[in-house]
Amino acid sequence: MTMIGISGFHKTFNAGTINEVYALRGIDLDIAEGEFLTIIGTNGSGKSTLLNAIAGTFLPDRGTITIGGKDMAKKPDFQRAQVISRVFQNPFTGTAPQMTIAENLHLASLRGKPRYPIFSLSSDRLAGYREEVRMLEMQLEDRLDNTIGTLSGGQRQALTLLMAVMNEPKVLLLDEHTAALDPKSASQVVALTEKFISRYNLTAVMVTHSMQQALELGTRTILMNKGKVIEEITGKEKQFLTVNDLLDRFADLRKQEKLTSEMIEEMRREYL
Amino acid sequence: MELWVGALNLGFLYAFVAIGIYITFRIHDFPDITVDGTFTTGAAVTSVLVVSGTHPLLAVAASFIACSAAGSITALINTRLNVNSLLAGILVMTGLYSINLHIMGRSNIPLLEAPEFFTLLDRVNPGAPREPWIAICLTFIVAASWFAVSFFFKTDFGLSMRASGNNPVMARAAGINVDRVKILGVAFANGLVGISGSLVAQYQGFSDIGMGIGTVVTGLAAVIIGESILKKHSIYVWIGSAIAGSVIFRFMIAIALYAGMNPIDLKLLTAIFVLITLVITARIGKGAGKLKKKHLFAAAMAVVAIIGIFAGMKYGNFSGIIPQKKVRIGVFQVSDNPILSITRDAFLAEMKRLGYVEGENATFLVENANGDLATVNTIADKFLREKVDIVVPISTACTQVSVNKIKDRPVVFATVANPFIIGAGKSDTDHLPNVTGVYGAVPMDKTMEIVRKILPGHLRIGVIWDPSQANSEENVNNLKKALKNHPEVTFVGGNIAGSSEVHQVAASLVHKNINAFVLPTDNIVYSAFESVVKAARSKKVPIIYNDVDHPEGGALAVFGYTYETSGRQAANLADRILKGEDPASIPFERYKETVLGVNLKVAKELGLTIPRDLIDEATVIVDEKGNKKKRDGGPAEGKPAGPVKRLALFQFTDSVVLDVSARGVIDRLKQSGILEKENITIDQKLAHGDFSTAQSMAQDIVSKNYDYIVTISTVSLQVTVNNNKKIPHVFGTVTDPIKAGVAKSFTDHPPNMTGLATPQPVESTVRLMRRVFPNAKIIGMIWNPAEANSEICTLMTREAAKKYGFKLVEVQITGTQEIDEALRSVLGSSPDIFFTSGDTTVSSVIPSIAQKLRQKKIPYITNTPADIDSGAFMCLGADYYDVGLKTADLAIRVIRGEKPSGIPIVSYVPEQLTVNLFLAKEYGITISNDLIKKAVKVVK
Ligand SMILES: Nc1ncnc2c1ncn2[C@@H]1O[C@H](COP(=O)(O)OP(=O)(O)O)[C@@H](O)[C@H]1O
Ligand SMILES: [Mg+2]
Repeated sequence: MTMIGISGFHKTFNAGTINEVYALRGIDLDIAEGEFLTIIGTNGSGKSTLLNAIAGTFLPDRGTITIGGKDMAKKPDFQRAQVISRVFQNPFTGTAPQMTIAENLHLASLRGKPRYPIFSLSSDRLAGYREEVRMLEMQLEDRLDNTIGTLSGGQRQALTLLMAVMNEPKVLLLDEHTAALDPKSASQVVALTEKFISRYNLTAVMVTHSMQQALELGTRTILMNKGKVIEEITGKEKQFLTVNDLLDRFADLRKQEKLTSEMIEEMRREYL
Repeated sequence: MELWVGALNLGFLYAFVAIGIYITFRIHDFPDITVDGTFTTGAAVTSVLVVSGTHPLLAVAASFIACSAAGSITALINTRLNVNSLLAGILVMTGLYSINLHIMGRSNIPLLEAPEFFTLLDRVNPGAPREPWIAICLTFIVAASWFAVSFFFKTDFGLSMRASGNNPVMARAAGINVDRVKILGVAFANGLVGISGSLVAQYQGFSDIGMGIGTVVTGLAAVIIGESILKKHSIYVWIGSAIAGSVIFRFMIAIALYAGMNPIDLKLLTAIFVLITLVITARIGKGAGKLKKKHLFAAAMAVVAIIGIFAGMKYGNFSGIIPQKKVRIGVFQVSDNPILSITRDAFLAEMKRLGYVEGENATFLVENANGDLATVNTIADKFLREKVDIVVPISTACTQVSVNKIKDRPVVFATVANPFIIGAGKSDTDHLPNVTGVYGAVPMDKTMEIVRKILPGHLRIGVIWDPSQANSEENVNNLKKALKNHPEVTFVGGNIAGSSEVHQVAASLVHKNINAFVLPTDNIVYSAFESVVKAARSKKVPIIYNDVDHPEGGALAVFGYTYETSGRQAANLADRILKGEDPASIPFERYKETVLGVNLKVAKELGLTIPRDLIDEATVIVDEKGNKKKRDGGPAEGKPAGPVKRLALFQFTDSVVLDVSARGVIDRLKQSGILEKENITIDQKLAHGDFSTAQSMAQDIVSKNYDYIVTISTVSLQVTVNNNKKIPHVFGTVTDPIKAGVAKSFTDHPPNMTGLATPQPVESTVRLMRRVFPNAKIIGMIWNPAEANSEICTLMTREAAKKYGFKLVEVQITGTQEIDEALRSVLGSSPDIFFTSGDTTVSSVIPSIAQKLRQKKIPYITNTPADIDSGAFMCLGADYYDVGLKTADLAIRVIRGEKPSGIPIVSYVPEQLTVNLFLAKEYGITISNDLIKKAVKVVK
């Protein structure tokens, strides 16, 4: 069954100004329930923009988008948040720094629910949050009253991940969420990501900055360039593919004039 | 005390502003300027409702709702129309000015008669003084609000608000409708600001269209102060620190005012303070990575430059090329002995009269050693360290230390019995080169002559003194010397070592059958004088002593110096030295004025008669009923040696009219001689047109217990009436005290207050127009409805115009920038005459209006006589100098002892006509000779 269906999606930013950017140029994408899609592509190719399009940060100029079978083309992000949650590249983006860990978790747990002026961060709930935080293995369970501003990037990103999944969304969007972390934190967060996705059986879309990661993780990989999806590697193919095989496929793409040699060079620099 | 309680209360009242600003600036990261407008909106809504009889609490709630609505509009403009938040705030704030005027219907609504929130509090007052009771109530109210608001930010909705401001991207991802939450938050914040506006209006007793100016900056200052003292991460602490910041901010202002800081500088200091803190926190907030040295350096230089300019303005004198240096005058006394305090007060008053004004061109360091000799030394050291220009020791002890210690700068001593025994010099002319001063021992020979006049024949006199005091010993020696001329008098002495012994020694002397006590000046004996009186009474022994301040204390006669003369003479010596004279060439001076007081009541009780010639000689007489009278027969409240009394002359702004009027008040008070006679000094207070400064000033005047208040202008009248219930108060230069809300009628007014009403002579002016222009039809007029006074004048003009058959064409403006446009529109209806009355906005540009009218040959008529020099055609107005004189006359009646409650408010319009014949000729208009004769000024 299709979880995310996108067709003919176009988006231009700052239309009619000198800053005009034609960022998404007709995206057609079908992501099945439970699928784990990874996205690679050069800088500025529109990967983040595609995630934003799914999340509803902006609405399409043309094209349709459905999530869980429902038309979402006219729904803003905070309404889609009932079913979609996300983790950003920048560890500062996913949490409110001046609020405590408990308050951040509580906000996340209210995702998709009405927020009344009543006090519901009870000690029971606090105990529940403590257990969930314990699972992160980041030694945060005794610091629920600390503000997020005092945490490291890895801790924040793990917490953001927890906040994203704790309310069991249908879709999880991950935008290079380990790119800004040191290698050790990055692998911790990757492990947590896999754990959560499989535990809650989430449909996930992950932009990655590592070809290795793209091949190892997920059920399907797509390659984006200039606002378009230009190549797709299915799960079966991925099992046997090495990074070098992948680069060979890029060479083929160049022959078809879908990619230029500078772009391949850039991918090499960024991803290897 | 009242000043501090008042500051606490203002801090609490403005706490809601601080919380509101905290919510917008800190929680929503939304710098919202709307509050400058909503503060006034809150006040406006409340005052209109309260005056119409609505329950004050409902009025507060209505203000909250109205201001929330205004705030939500700002946020809507920002979120829906994508207008920058600052700009959105400015737009709504500007719009609110008109709306506030519409709500109020005029620029100023008094609430003094209406039952407002604080009268409700008074009703449940168990008997505490008003201000502290308000403070107690506000403590509870603010604490409850603190708790409620903080708790709100812990609820699910409150958390969403905080997340939206703290990290909108995250908030949206968490399903929060950030825009909606922001609108609600900004609305809530403005609602809180409205509560402050509402409460402040009710507290100060009026709303005014200008009262919101600067709300953002003061609120921000409060938030920043709060943040700098409390650093813990918790919403309770944050909200609490905003409240604390608000209170501290008001205390800082109170301290600055109390310390005599010029209120002009308050706003500048506040702004600089906020700026510096903002820059620093912004830099730190963005992380050290962005802290560029270059930027920091530039910011530091800017701050240094601003502070430098500020310091220059404060301490230098920009009017001259060479900054005029302030003279520093160190004054100190050894103890609180009344003689010394009188000397000090007289010295300070005389210095002031001589033009040495604290904070302006002089700094007085006034110290008191409180009886401790070690402290006398410390103070002298301090004076040297603080580089005073001249030292004024009052008392022998201070003088002794000064002449020993201070060699490099002038010393002027006062109230010293014998400067020669402490090494100040050998004779009046041969003395230490840097020292001069005023001295004099109590004239014991003269005292004995008085004793002998009353009590001739054989006499045993009892004398009590403390031999450890050099002064007393000296006085007693003088007495003994004087006794050589009175062989029939026997000296019976008794020594004491403390005031507790005085009664016993006095009783023992009485027992030794003395006929009289003669008590030379001795601090300890005088401090226990009552016990001497008690001991003497048993055997009807008369007492003669030298304490001229207390002829009514039970003595038969007093004789001695008024120590004011000492202070005054010392001040004149100091003045001569500061003006360049060499102290070496100034001889020591002896006291000039003596006082003889006789107590006829005591004489009667003792069965003694005081010889007629002595009574005639006396300057103070206590009559048989015990009433003290000065020689001229008036009540002796202003006894010659009494303390200095203070009169506060309180003016709102320094417009020409108010300045002229103030000059009239001062001139008449000076001419009348009442200032010297009653020993009154005038302190001029000027609020520079700022409402909250005026409010603090009124509180300051009341807390400093001034003896009289004279207010000039309507606002200073209003704030004073609201704060002052007891100090006699005379007002002047007020158009309509009844409309201003301070009196019900000319005879029904607060018992401690009276004054002058001076309406613009609008009706006479319009009558005059009819007389000079029999065929004129249309009068043109421009006025600013934000000015209460202008509105009153316009209303009167409408009526008068109808009465004399004119058509009035009016155009309203809100500022000088609109005048050109307005004038063009008025000229469009071809008026025959153009008229301006009591509108300060228009008055400020009279020359340019006059010029444009001249091109069209339209006569310009105003209600301010001086406008004739700015190109007006004819002016009929009150002579405000004369109004000042009349205000002073009322003040003089009050100072002389008349009760203000018995003096009705007087309507006084000294009409003055000025005419410009040059323009008349140019326009071809003839003006009758009798009018020209009436005019005080004719421009030819
Ligand atoms: N909100 C926006 N406004 C304007 N331009 C945007 C916006 N979002 C993305 N873009 C532009 O769209 C292009 C694609 O960006 P992005 O999706 O962030 O690339 P990447 O593939 O590196 O994540 C870039 O040129 C970027 O500048
Ligand atoms: Mg990206």
